[in-house]
Amino acid sequence: MHKTNTITYIILIALTIASALLSKLDTTYVAILILLLAVIKFIGISFQFMELKKAHPFWKGAILGFLILFTVIILAV
Amino acid sequence: MSDATINYKNIYYPPGGILIWIIIFLELFTFGAALIAMVFYGKQEVEIFHNSRLQLNATIGMINTIFLLTSGYFMAISVEELKRKNIQKFKQLLSLTMLFGLFFLALKSFEYYAKLQEGLDISYNTFFTFYWMLTLFHVIHVLVGLIILISVYFGINNKKSTTTIEDVEASAAFWHMCDLIWILIFPVIYLLF
Repeated sequence: MHKTNTITYIILIALTIASALLSKLDTTYVAILILLLAVIKFIGISFQFMELKKAHPFWKGAILGFLILFTVIILAV
Repeated sequence: MSDATINYKNIYYPPGGILIWIIIFLELFTFGAALIAMVFYGKQEVEIFHNSRLQLNATIGMINTIFLLTSGYFMAISVEELKRKNIQKFKQLLSLTMLFGLFFLALKSFEYYAKLQEGLDISYNTFFTFYWMLTLFHVIHVLVGLIILISVYFGINNKKSTTTIEDVEASAAFWHMCDLIWILIFPVIYLLF
């Protein structure tokens, strides 16, 4: 269990550094990439650290639903 | 400490309990709506938002993200240790959780002080109104989370304590919620515009 959490933690740190570096680039899709990395981090924390992976599918669907709704609206605005 | 077995697959018993998850969703929708409003205004004042974003130090934002993620990691493994009934290890890891939470607050205070010295207060422009409101509201959550963790730390050793593993999981879920909110705030405020 510690191992899975440690791997998740390392990935989260790597994604955080990657998103900070990406923001320095001046390309069209940089906003989408930064949001995509945030979405992956959000899933890592909620499913692994908060143990949502063990929960009823309703709770998994609800958090993913929120995440999709938030990301789509941010990109569409 | 009592340790009733919880069936997480039951819809009414997500890890941490249903009440904390209702709070988490309410918080996520509140912060989410505010961030969407910020992006909406950002599209109308593109230059102001871009120039204001450049006045923030993304490296500080990144280090603060790392502090919160590290704190969340220690929180997650501390709950594992508690489930193994390793109270001493749990308390050590919980102390590290709180320490990194304090590091976050210290760096945020430094950032706030620097911004105020530069005159970039809440009324400076629309970007900084959102910056101060969102980040200060988040800081309040971190402070509340720290108070909850301190009460767990001192309560867990009490032999008469009625603390259950679900209570500790609910506290952990609140602490992780601060991570989740920051994970949404950091890219939008520090990187996107």
